[in-house]
Amino acid sequence: MPEIIRSRDCIVFFKGDSQPVIVSPDMIRLGWSGGQGVQWVDSTTDERMVTFSSGLYGGFLIWGSDESSDQFTAMTQQQLVYQYAVMLSGGCLIATTTYERYTYSSRIAGPPYIPLVYQANDILYLSKRGLWTKENELTISGDLLAPAFFTGFVAQVPKSVNNNFLGIQTSM
Amino acid sequence: MATQGWVGGQGVRWADSTQDEFIVTFSDGIYGGFLLWGSNEPSDQFTSMTGAQPLYGYGTFCAGGWIIATIAFEQFTYASRTGGGPLVPIIYTVGQRVLFSLRGLFTNEDEWTPSGDPRAPNTYFIGNVVQAPAPENNNYIVLQTSI
Repeated sequence: MPEIIRSRDCIVFFKGDSQPVIVSPDMIRLGWSGGQGVQWVDSTTDERMVTFSSGLYGGFLIWGSDESSDQFTAMTQQQLVYQYAVMLSGGCLIATTTYERYTYSSRIAGPPYIPLVYQANDILYLSKRGLWTKENELTISGDLLAPAFFTGFVAQVPKSVNNNFLGIQTSM
Repeated sequence: MATQGWVGGQGVRWADSTQDEFIVTFSDGIYGGFLLWGSNEPSDQFTSMTGAQPLYGYGTFCAGGWIIATIAFEQFTYASRTGGGPLVPIIYTVGQRVLFSLRGLFTNEDEWTPSGDPRAPNTYFIGNVVQAPAPENNNYIVLQTSI
């Protein structure tokens, strides 16, 4: 039985650096989950803007754009309306559901999907869509920006007793 | 760790558990962080801290940027500790990179390489030497951690 309350997409046990950022039009349109990896993107105005990570990192967003825990509160879709988010970076200890469940190759090739098996101390990267993963997807996909940067370690593996949250010590 | 005890400054890494908890064990070169207090230090005797950490199975885990002074560092080279000959002291100098040894103590040697560990070389950077051990500082090493 889970002993830690996990009522959001991303739970923070200790926090590194945090700052508000502007989110890109793509993020506004598509929404995001808490723990989403983001990278910097240029803007025509004087603002610091992020968008979905493509394997590079700037940090990750602490709150999802429209989480169930925000419903019927002042937070309901507030980030989408005002086009902002809170980005964390540095050394954090978090638990999140925003991680890749299946290998990159099986996701690309289609079913059957091959589960990723996480183990304590596995090195983590951001996937090509900005989710946490143990695969270096920039390398696997032959991306010119390969290899992806190291962004953290697995601190707790997903399992039923922790509601399948992935525990991560971030280093970014 | 609860059985064997540990010193303050001991390097630790993450381990798996069947429970919903964050659990660490002795580092083998991988870092998660280090433990602030030893499991049964002389300064804890005759206080409510006496044996509290091993009894309740917890430690206070530190990561990030710290300046610490600790005795949890390797005094002798890995080769001399495992080779059976005379122990060869490690000479630490200010600014040197440190990492965790195979038993989780701070050292300036990459022990994965001489031990034939398949993960070698150990390229993690976890800190550097601020002050070398000397009689004037009771042979503590002072480190700036970057974990």
